[in-house]
Amino acid sequence: MRFRTLVTNANLLLRVVQSIDKLAKSAILKLTPEKLHIIVITDVDSGLQLWSDVAVNALFSDYRIESVHGNEIYLEFSIDSLQRALKSAQGALRTTLKLAKKQGLPVLSLVIQNQSGTGRELTLTQDVPVRVLTPQQMDAIREPLVPDSQVHIMMPPLNSVRSIAERIKAMGDRVAVSANRDGEVTLRVSNDLVEITTFFRGLENLAYDATQDANPTPDRAPTEFYTAVVDMKNFLRFLQSYHVAPRNIVCCIIEHHALVFYVYIGSAGYGAGALNDQTCGSLTYFIPVRQV
Amino acid sequence: MASRFGAAAAAATAATANPEQVLFTARLNNIRPLVNMLRTICFRPRASCAINAGGLVFTVEEAQSIVAQAYLRTDLFSAFNYNIALAKEQLADQNQDAEPANDDDENTTHIALPLDSLIECLMLFYGPSGTAAGGPGGAHGGSSGIQSTSAMLTGGNPMDLRGASIAHIAFNGLGSDFELMLEERGVISVCRMATFYPESPVDLDFSRFPVVQQLIIRSEWLRDAFNELDPTSEAVAIAISATAPYFRISTVGDNGSTEMTYSKDERILDSFFCSEEQENRYKLSLILRCRQALALSDKTKIRVNQRGFLSFQFMIPTDADVSFVNFLYAPLVHANELEH
Repeated sequence: MRFRTLVTNANLLLRVVQSIDKLAKSAILKLTPEKLHIIVITDVDSGLQLWSDVAVNALFSDYRIESVHGNEIYLEFSIDSLQRALKSAQGALRTTLKLAKKQGLPVLSLVIQNQSGTGRELTLTQDVPVRVLTPQQMDAIREPLVPDSQVHIMMPPLNSVRSIAERIKAMGDRVAVSANRDGEVTLRVSNDLVEITTFFRGLENLAYDATQDANPTPDRAPTEFYTAVVDMKNFLRFLQSYHVAPRNIVCCIIEHHALVFYVYIGSAGYGAGALNDQTCGSLTYFIPVRQV
Repeated sequence: MASRFGAAAAAATAATANPEQVLFTARLNNIRPLVNMLRTICFRPRASCAINAGGLVFTVEEAQSIVAQAYLRTDLFSAFNYNIALAKEQLADQNQDAEPANDDDENTTHIALPLDSLIECLMLFYGPSGTAAGGPGGAHGGSSGIQSTSAMLTGGNPMDLRGASIAHIAFNGLGSDFELMLEERGVISVCRMATFYPESPVDLDFSRFPVVQQLIIRSEWLRDAFNELDPTSEAVAIAISATAPYFRISTVGDNGSTEMTYSKDERILDSFFCSEEQENRYKLSLILRCRQALALSDKTKIRVNQRGFLSFQFMIPTDADVSFVNFLYAPLVHANELEH
């Protein structure tokens, strides 16, 4: 098993890892010849899950990977450790990432080369302890199967959604997230004493193609809403990871099943039209609907 | 209006309906004065609210010993509509045998509502919590100290001019929800709060006995005095006399005693009047509940009646002249009773 690469975009890698920092303590890194995947599962049944991928050539150059399992490597790592290591790589002259063994234990080693004020080269090595997963263990980790969503809509700027969610979180432990095909998203929280509904309008829907839907819903008026009721905690966790592309987020609702958010990395411009241009990766957040 | 608000209209029919068909509607172009006033009295979660043609009065009481009231006159609002005809109908429905009042001012709708939720809703667009100066129950933590007036007014963030662009309030009588619709930069929030029959109001009956002591003091002096009070003391004593020392505030606590006295100097005490020398003691923790109102005010009028009941009237500058918040306190032991 061998892995070694030059890191050309340490900043992007850091931002991806920062996005998941609040979700959990550890995550899974799946390295393939084409892509880098980061997977976070907070709770298999009721928790938020994050599945992401970034094209290798958006982050690295001189990328070398070799293993007996189709040249794929699966690692479990501490998010905080990797984040701290990547922080020290920011602005470095040259950064190399490799899989190594230190004192008999596997680590992801970040070798950071900088130039001091006097022109001398300084080398800093940050080791992130990892656990190597077997293909069987990796196989057991499956991306959630989600039926086709009934509505796809571009989210309003995440920081305004987040500041409102932070204020309404005291009112209830679940939030109903709704969207329609007329550019509107609503959040609703309620308890015995108060009910708060917040409406975001003028948003862009992605075209809904009924022919693509295996189970097309009977015709609802465009202004009618589809709703997913989720744990407030999970919704807030998603809203707090906004370090990457906070303006290009698609919300998909699969009623009675899940809320799915797609965050597109590296796309220039804004809006549905820009999503496919220069997208080098995506983060997919699965938030299951709360079971009663 | 319905088409402009789209789906929001379906959820807030009272707020967007014709004002003539609703018992009470109001509009605010700037919610900060309302939020600031309400926060000064929110030391309990629930308040009673009296609505009439003159405005709104919110009242909070605790332990039958403290009653706080915030007076929100109609000129604080950019629109205020109280439907007296509808009010008369509703009041008649509730009291079958009582005569409807002929005097318009006596037609008043009384409800109880969750004040802390109302304040949280009004602050929905303030930005992430933690940037606002304290929480609604700020007076619970008397140790948090006095905040400067400007910090209170801007929610702790002087450059933060956000809050909510426009707020609509609507209420259609007991049995319906108290509705609030806030709009900021195209985002609309509709809040509905449960309302209740108000409990019999605690009336500390201040006006039943003559006022024997009165003075007006610049609030900054009173803030300084409160900051000096020993928080370990159970009680605070307030003594007013026609001879020196004219006005004295003192505490006795674990750390010894503190005493502040004020001379009758016009620069400090204004409109001084004392027909009966008295010292009265009040529960310190309850007295400290008024600190937010004190922080917002320019001047405070202090009055004591013959039974030793204490009234603080805080004069708070707002866009529309001066607004008032009152705190009324029952004494711990009445001074005269000690003689018997």
